[in-house]
Amino acid sequence: MLNVDWLDIVSVFGWFIAVYMVIVIVFYSVILMISLFQLRKEYQLDRIQAYEDYMDEFYTRPVSIIVPAYNEEAGIIQSVRSLLSVNYPTFEIIVVNDGSTDRTLEKMITQYDMKEISRVVRKQINTKPIKTIYQSSILSNLFLVDKENGGKADALNVGLNFSHYPYFCSLDGDSVLEPDAFLKVMKPIIDSNEEVIASGGSVRIANGCEIKNGHILKIGLSNNPLVIMQIIEYLRAFLMGRIGLSRHNLLLIISGAFGVFSKHWTIEAGGYKTDTVGEDMELVVRIHRLLKEKRINKKIVYVPDPVCWTEVPEDMTILRRQRRRWHRGLFESLWTHRGLTFNPKYGSIGVISFPYFWIVEFLGPIIEFLGYIFMVLCLFLGGVYIEFAILLFLLSCLYGSLFSMAAVLLEEWSLTKYPKVSDIVKLFLYSITETIWYRPMTVFWRCEGIWQMMVGDKSWGEMKRKGVSK
Amino acid sequence: MINQEILFLSILTSSLMCLLFLLLLYLIIRKSKEIKTRREIESYKNKINNQIFSIIAQGQVFRGMGCETAIKQRAMEELLSRYVKILEGEEEKKRLSDLATHCLQGYYQKRLKSKRWSYRMNALYHIEDFHMTKLLNEVVLLSKKKKLSHQEMIHVLRILASFQFKDLLDLLLNHYHYLSEYENRGILMRLNQDLFDQFVLSFHKSTPPLQFAILDVISLNKAIKYRVFTENIYLTYKGEVKLRALKALSEIGYVRNIEPYLQLLYSPNWQERMVAAKLIGSVKEEKGIPRLIELLHDQVWWVRSQAGQSISQFPNGKAILQSVLETSKDAFARDMAWDWLHKGV
Repeated sequence: MLNVDWLDIVSVFGWFIAVYMVIVIVFYSVILMISLFQLRKEYQLDRIQAYEDYMDEFYTRPVSIIVPAYNEEAGIIQSVRSLLSVNYPTFEIIVVNDGSTDRTLEKMITQYDMKEISRVVRKQINTKPIKTIYQSSILSNLFLVDKENGGKADALNVGLNFSHYPYFCSLDGDSVLEPDAFLKVMKPIIDSNEEVIASGGSVRIANGCEIKNGHILKIGLSNNPLVIMQIIEYLRAFLMGRIGLSRHNLLLIISGAFGVFSKHWTIEAGGYKTDTVGEDMELVVRIHRLLKEKRINKKIVYVPDPVCWTEVPEDMTILRRQRRRWHRGLFESLWTHRGLTFNPKYGSIGVISFPYFWIVEFLGPIIEFLGYIFMVLCLFLGGVYIEFAILLFLLSCLYGSLFSMAAVLLEEWSLTKYPKVSDIVKLFLYSITETIWYRPMTVFWRCEGIWQMMVGDKSWGEMKRKGVSK
Repeated sequence: MINQEILFLSILTSSLMCLLFLLLLYLIIRKSKEIKTRREIESYKNKINNQIFSIIAQGQVFRGMGCETAIKQRAMEELLSRYVKILEGEEEKKRLSDLATHCLQGYYQKRLKSKRWSYRMNALYHIEDFHMTKLLNEVVLLSKKKKLSHQEMIHVLRILASFQFKDLLDLLLNHYHYLSEYENRGILMRLNQDLFDQFVLSFHKSTPPLQFAILDVISLNKAIKYRVFTENIYLTYKGEVKLRALKALSEIGYVRNIEPYLQLLYSPNWQERMVAAKLIGSVKEEKGIPRLIELLHDQVWWVRSQAGQSISQFPNGKAILQSVLETSKDAFARDMAWDWLHKGV
């Protein structure tokens, strides 16, 4: 008798997982549909033409580019060089040296002939003290701020305090920008007559591409399976997820690698938060919250065009650390603003976005992980449970592989960034295998992230860069 | 019971798989075709490039210039787009426009009727770039379409403006009064003197965004011809329009009587102080210098910055800023003085 009850619990549990998966699949399908229409509309639109009309407008909206640098001596000169050739009428570059222990500072000073200047910096956001400010004597729009170590968010805040222009963009050390990146992301801001206050673009993976002096020469595909899987993952997240969410102003993430924000609203919201690992998402959430609380009708949007190429981890250990950190960052942002969840006062952000991020993004890995355990368990139990295991496996195929395959095809159908036929085939074939190895692996890592959080492990996990540029 | 679900799911998964594989196949074929077409276009471009250049640059007759296939049309379009960006002379532009009309008129007529939004948009961009005035009627026709997207509509109006379409004033005043300032400006910037005069004359009837746009065009062009008009607007209007008029005057760089504007440097409204400072700098009115130095201490950054810039426009500006840098007790004023001394202008 007792035995039967126990088996009942097993099947209830199994059904719970199955129903959860079905709901998520439905949700993904809806988002996929929205993206499909949006991308199709702009297929083969001559974009260069479209930017020409805006040149005068771009003039009146200068951008400050903030580059936080902590021990980046390997890539900092390349990064700055690539930024200097960006296609935008007026901008300034502010490199914030976050107390590096290597030669980042010296390299910058000698390369660009930086001279010390005395400046009063208006402290709109509280930060660690600034040591010295330098300006390049060759390029008057290049600044270097040397400060005490305080983490990435603190460095960004210093950059914000120092910056002169109404818009700013933060950039990771080893990202490569598309030449037209700023034109692409500033266009929605101008189009909307500044109703859009933050805008981001797709981030693509630079591993495997040929890069020289901070420019993409040739788009290629890496041979490392781990990198290929990450490419697919990025395609899926950006092309499917973000376009769909952005369409209805539900976006909670603008990639940390590249986004332009209105400085006014960022400062109003209090700048970057220093005690979280996901400062970029946290900021977007806080801006949304501020807007809703003040009842101001402003938007945060996302542009499907790739604007930025970034290096991703090539081996398991670092990837694992990255995923654990991401998941913790996600939790911290959601937890800090948990009051928004299902709160009708915050409109669609509270009723749709927040529940989505809690249920699908945060709890998803736990439920999937339980699902995998359940599948294994069912195999041992035998009988009717084998069928249950098959059912769950099929669902997770739908959930994992099929959507990834669709994302790869969506890329080829609309943006066609990869030049060779073989690239697409390779991406497609790899995406079929997602359910079998990559997905369970990342799901496990994310669960680890949750576990670490519960036991109070605060270690950061540094990202080691190999350097993609030649 | 569960068997049914499994069956259903297996069928669903496998049929979706099949569908995706079919899509893959389609995309592979499409891509290889596209790669092949691209190669053909490039080779045709190489073939006709010299001929096109001599047609445009030397006015050679273009008999026998074949544009009957889609590949040739696309090659032509790409080549002409490249030339149109670098051409300067009126003569050459005219020749390019004639060549485009000769080769691509039919192509764009068809494209304008296409169901695909991006095709129609691209056609509109090129019609304007190549200045294909013969397609004016088709463009007007497109504007009457019922389900026209906002972007298309804006571009149609821009084209009508570049082609100096006579009824544009009526269209903007009565049919498209909801356009934003930026959209209006994009249209007005393309007008010639005569048509723009019409807009200036009906300034009082216009919506605020159109009024802002008119003043902005005057200020972008630094059009001294409209100085009297702008001063009148400054005197009769209030708020944002007044401010824009002031900005336009500061760009024109001349006013009949400076006195009322000097008073404005003391305005409680910081935007007015800022634009007034800009005006004083651009007309180089010495009487304003003492107040400009005071404005270096203003509580608003924008006013301080503008005051610094205006001072630096005077012949002895650098010396004034230098003395502020050395003597002022206000850190912000010193900062601003330093800033403008080191702008490298």
